[in-house]
Amino acid sequence: MLEYDILIVGAGGAGLYAALWASQNPKLKVGVMSKVYPVRSHTGAAEGGINAALGNVAPDSPEKHAFDTVKGSDYLADQDAVELMTQMGPQIIYDIEHRGVPFSRLPDGRIAQRPFGGASFPRTCYAADRTGLVILHTLFDQALRQGVEFLNEWFLLNLVHDGERVLGVTAWDIRNGGVHFVKAKAVILATGGHARMYWNRTSNALGNTGDGSAAALRAGIPLKDMEFVQFHPTGLRKTGILITEGARGEGGYLINKDGERFMKRYAPEKMELAPRDIVARAIEREILEGRGCGPEGDYICLDLRHLGEEKLMERLPQTVEHARVYEGVDPVKEPIPIRPTAHYSMGGIDTDKYGRTEIKGLYAAGETACISVHGANRLGGNSLLDILVFGKLAAEDAAEYVVGVEHAATDGAEFVRREEEFIKSLTEKEPRENLGQMRRELGEVMASKVGIFREEKPMLEALEAIRELKERAKSGLAVVDRSRRFNLNLVQTLEFLNLLDLAEVTTLCAVERKESRGAHYRLDYPQRDDENYLKHSLVRRKEDGTLEHGWKEVVITKWQPQERKY
Amino acid sequence: MAEKAVLRIYRYNPEVDQNPFYREYEVPLDEVQTLLDALFFVQERLDPTLSFRFFCRAAVCGSCAVKVNGVSRLACKTRFRDLVEASGGRPITVEPLNFLKPVKDLVVDHDAAFENLKTLKTWCEPKEPIPEREYRIPPEEVKKYERPTNCILCFACYGNCEAVMDDPKYAGPFAFSRVYRYAVDSRVKDEHKREMVKNALEAGDVWSCVQCQKCIYVCPKGVRPAEDIQNVRGIAAEMGFRDYPGVRKLQHFVDWVYATGQINRLALPEEVYGVDPTPLINKFREKGAEVWEVPKPLPGLLEFRDLILEVMKEKKPHLDIDFHHVRRIDKRVEEVFKADVCTRITEKFEEQKSDFFSRFWKKLGEFFGAS
Repeated sequence: MLEYDILIVGAGGAGLYAALWASQNPKLKVGVMSKVYPVRSHTGAAEGGINAALGNVAPDSPEKHAFDTVKGSDYLADQDAVELMTQMGPQIIYDIEHRGVPFSRLPDGRIAQRPFGGASFPRTCYAADRTGLVILHTLFDQALRQGVEFLNEWFLLNLVHDGERVLGVTAWDIRNGGVHFVKAKAVILATGGHARMYWNRTSNALGNTGDGSAAALRAGIPLKDMEFVQFHPTGLRKTGILITEGARGEGGYLINKDGERFMKRYAPEKMELAPRDIVARAIEREILEGRGCGPEGDYICLDLRHLGEEKLMERLPQTVEHARVYEGVDPVKEPIPIRPTAHYSMGGIDTDKYGRTEIKGLYAAGETACISVHGANRLGGNSLLDILVFGKLAAEDAAEYVVGVEHAATDGAEFVRREEEFIKSLTEKEPRENLGQMRRELGEVMASKVGIFREEKPMLEALEAIRELKERAKSGLAVVDRSRRFNLNLVQTLEFLNLLDLAEVTTLCAVERKESRGAHYRLDYPQRDDENYLKHSLVRRKEDGTLEHGWKEVVITKWQPQERKY
Repeated sequence: MAEKAVLRIYRYNPEVDQNPFYREYEVPLDEVQTLLDALFFVQERLDPTLSFRFFCRAAVCGSCAVKVNGVSRLACKTRFRDLVEASGGRPITVEPLNFLKPVKDLVVDHDAAFENLKTLKTWCEPKEPIPEREYRIPPEEVKKYERPTNCILCFACYGNCEAVMDDPKYAGPFAFSRVYRYAVDSRVKDEHKREMVKNALEAGDVWSCVQCQKCIYVCPKGVRPAEDIQNVRGIAAEMGFRDYPGVRKLQHFVDWVYATGQINRLALPEEVYGVDPTPLINKFREKGAEVWEVPKPLPGLLEFRDLILEVMKEKKPHLDIDFHHVRRIDKRVEEVFKADVCTRITEKFEEQKSDFFSRFWKKLGEFFGAS
C-alpha cells in the first residue's frame, strides 16, 4: 500500500509549489498525485502575469495591492487573507525568480511589471504572454531537483476521513487500471477549477472538472461561494478558447451585426477596455437583444483588421493562430466570432488562510480552494499569486501538522472494495445515454440559465434540469470501454459526474444569492445588497445526499464596503 | 452528402490484443476543426474504447502529440481540413509517437522521456550569494532562452528524432534545449552548469545528433532544438570537454580545412577514433583507387587561410585552430608534394579569388560558430 506523510493531489502551480515546500523537510515522505503529467496542468495556460507589489516600475505597496484586490472582489474577499497574500507577494516572486523563472526584464535587469485590469499601478510581473507556462515548467524542474515523488495519471476518487482527521484517499490508476487506497497523514487538494461545467463555453482545459471540490463535497466538507464564476469577454465562439485581453489592448473593436462599436453605449469612455464583467455583460446583452452576428445571431465580432497584418503578426501571433486553427477565420481578413467564456471559479472548498478545512490534515489550495481572496470577482494576475502563496502556506502547515500524527490503522481494503464495486456498476450498466450528448446538455443549461445574466425562474429550471441529468446519468450513463488500462471512457464519465454535482451546488448558490455582486449578476436583483448578502455562501452535502445551504461572515479588517466604480 | 474523411487509427490494447492493428473511421469535415476534434468524434460517436491523451486543447499543455502520416504533431493544433487536403483523399494514419513504450492505442508512456531530464539535471541551482531581491538579468540574456522556454515537453521532437532511432541512450532534442536554456542562465551556479553539460555529453550522448533538423520542423512551439544542440556542443567545447569523438571530428575539420582547404578522409578515423587507417588505405589500393595521403592544397590557400581567420574572429567559434596540428599537416604536405606549401599554394590565387569562395568560407564559419 502507498503511504505518504503528505499527499498532494494535483500537479499544477499550487500542487508543485506545495510539494517543493513540503519536501523541505527530508524526513517527510511527500507524494504528488495527478490525473495528468505535471506540466500538462492548466497553470500552463495562464498568459498575462502574476501580481506583486515589487514597485519596480512605479512606487507600490502590498497594502495598495490588497485594496485593489478587495475592491475588485466587490468586498466579498476576506481581507485578512488578502493582506497576507499581498504581503507575501514580493517574497514569492523573488523565490521563484531564484529558482529560474525567466521573467521579462527592465533595461536595468530588474523584473518588468505591466499594468493590468483593476490595478492602480503596473504591478503584474510577466514572461511575455506565457507566464503560467514558464512558472509551471520551472517548478517542475525544481521538483525533479528535489526528487519529489510523482503518481502520474492517477485519478482521485474519494477522500477518506473519520469525521475528525483525514486518513488518505482512494484513487484510480489510469495507466494500469485498478483502485488504490493511498494512506496519508495530510492531503492537500490542488485540483484546480471547475468551469468545464459550461462545457463548450469555457476557456478551461478539458480536464478542469473540479475533481477535488467534488470529492470534498461528497466527503461532507462545505464548498464556498460557488455561484461566482468569472466570464472572460472574448472566448472563441465554437470552443470558448481564450482570445487575450491584449487583442483589445492593441486596439481591437467589438462590433455587432450592424457593424456598430456597441461598447459606446455601455462604457463610452473606456469602450472595449472597460472591466471584464462590464464588457462580458455588454456582449451578452447585444446577443440577447438580437444584435448578434451570424445566421443564429449568437456571437459578436472582434475586429482586428484595421491593425494590419504586420502588427497582428508581431503583437498578437497567438491570437492569429488560435483564430485560424480553432475558428477557421483569418483575422487579417475577417472579424473573429467571439462570446464570453467561463474562465475562473472564484468558489471552491471552504478553507481558512492556511488552506485548512474542517477536517484535520485536509487542506486545499489554488483554484479548488475558496479562502477567499478573490471574493465575487478575481483580478487578472492574482490567480498565479494565489496558487503559490497558499500552496506554500498549506504545505508548511501540513508539514508541521503531520509530525505528531500516526498513520491510520486501516488497510483501506474496505474503501477499495466499495470503489471497485462502484466502477463495476458503471461498466455493467446498460448504456442508454451518450456521454458527449449529456456533457453538451449540461454546458448549454449552465451557459443559458446560470451564465452571465441570471434570474430566479431560469435558474430554478436549470436546477431541475441538472437533477434530471443526474438521474439520467445514474440510470443510463454507462462506461462502454471495459478495459482497465488507460480507460479514457471511465475517466471522462467520472469527471462528468463530478461536474454534475458541482453544477447543482453552483446553481443552488446562485438562486440563494438575491443580489448582484461581482461576477454574479441577477436581472431580478441588479443591486449589491450589503445588508443581507455581504457574506459567503456555504453548501454542505448531508449524509442523505441533500444539500444544505448556509452563510458565513466575511472578514473585514481595514476597508469598509464602498460602491465599486472604475 | 456531407464531406467525409477517413482516419486510419492505430489500435492496441496490450491486455487483450496480441498485435497492434489499424481501424478506419469516417469523420465528417464539417463537424470538426482539429484532428483532436476528429478523435473526439470517433470516441464519442463511433467507438468509445479509443484512448488518446489531451488536456488544454489549445496547444499549450503538450498532451496530445501523435504521429500523423509519419510526422509528429499536436492533435489540437492540426487543422483537420488541411490534413485532408494534404493527403489527397487517402486515409489519414494516426499512430502513437515513436520510441516510447505503448500503453494503449495512441497513448505512450512518457516516463522515459521525463526521466531524461532528471538524468541530465536540467534545472536551476542558484548561484550564491542568493540576492535578497531578484537577480539582475539584462533583457538580452532573457532573449537567449526565450525560444527554449517555449518548450511544452510534448515530445514531438523525440518521436521524429533520427538520433534516438540509432542511439536509444540519446536524451532527445527537447532535453538539450533545456540544457542550453539553463546553461546560458546567469543565475545558475557554474559547477551545476558544468555538471549538466557533462551529463549532456555522457549520459545524454549529445554528439549523437546528426543535425537532420527534423526537430525544428516538427516542433509545434517554434523551439529550435537542433540549434540548441549545436550550442550545447559549443559550450561543452568551451568548458574544455574536448575528448569526445564529435569534438575531435570538428577539430579535424577546422585544422585540415585551414591547412589544406579540405578535410582528409583517410586521417579522419585515426584522429577521431584512434583507428589505424592502414587497412583502409590498403583496401583502396587493392581496388585500384587513387589514394591521397594528404589532399593536394588548393591554389591560393594562404589567402584562404586569412579569410578563415577573419571569419573565425567575426563568428567567435567554440573551437580554435590547433596550430601545432596544422604545422604537422604542413610538414606532411611538403614531404608528399616535395614543395614548400606556402609558395606552392599562392601562385594562382588571384584568378581563383571570387565571390563564390568568400561566400563558401562565410558559410563554413557560420557552421563552426553557431552562437
